Amino acid sequence: MAMGDIAFNLLIFFVILARAQDDSHLQWTPAKASNLENAGHSMVSVVVDNENKLYLNGQEIGVAQLASAIEDQLGDAPAGERTVLLKVHHEAIAQRFEPVIEAVSEAGGDLVHIVDDVKKK
Amino acid sequence: MALRRNCRLLIEPPASATGDIAFNLIVFFLVCASVQPDSGRKQTIPKAEQTEQKDQQTDTISVELTRQAVFLDGDPVTPSDFGPRIKAKLDARSNPAEKVVVVKSKPDTPYNHWIAVTSQIEDAGGIVTLQLEEEQTVTVP
Repeated sequence: MAMGDIAFNLLIFFVILARAQDDSHLQWTPAKASNLENAGHSMVSVVVDNENKLYLNGQEIGVAQLASAIEDQLGDAPAGERTVLLKVHHEAIAQRFEPVIEAVSEAGGDLVHIVDDVKKK
Repeated sequence: MALRRNCRLLIEPPASATGDIAFNLIVFFLVCASVQPDSGRKQTIPKAEQTEQKDQQTDTISVELTRQAVFLDGDPVTPSDFGPRIKAKLDARSNPAEKVVVVKSKPDTPYNHWIAVTSQIEDAGGIVTLQLEEEQTVTVP
């Protein structure tokens, strides 16, 4: 009985640990928009947090290195599997987020803006 | 030899296991909460290319964003009017190449304003293209 519990807990522990792209510790508030769709699975997530810092898969990075780092992450993934999730704090300014969008485009990523549904309260 | 039949149908789990059960439940719901799928807006931005600024001969639709205002082809537009006006402009164009909308933002434009406007352009059938200004350092001898 206890052996099963231990095995189960170890399994969950390693599953959580394997999620290398985890960015749940970052603080940001999504903007609101309409006509949203499911973002699906993605290998890459880029976050501009509430302190205007830039993160790639949870690791802080400079905007100058972003395009090449995204290219490395995406590798030779075919079209349709090159989704890049962009999570920008709603008050971030264009000077900060536009070069990020440009870098994703340069790396050949399929950009998905993660936002909240405008209808949701 | 007569065998005693066990008639106890309800067996309570041992009290010592409740801690384990509670822990497993916590972990289960934690994992469920952390893998909630994200929802968002797909956006196709054409690959960046450097172009010299020149007089715009073609009648490309341009949208300029400031911190709070929107300008459509140079005219100030209220946020409620922007959707219908951009749709009317785009509907008048049949060629997909003419549906490109150049979006130029002031450096202090907030993301929530930007995403609201670009969403309306895409919903109206436009193709968003960003116009970024490049910083150049000129050394004077």
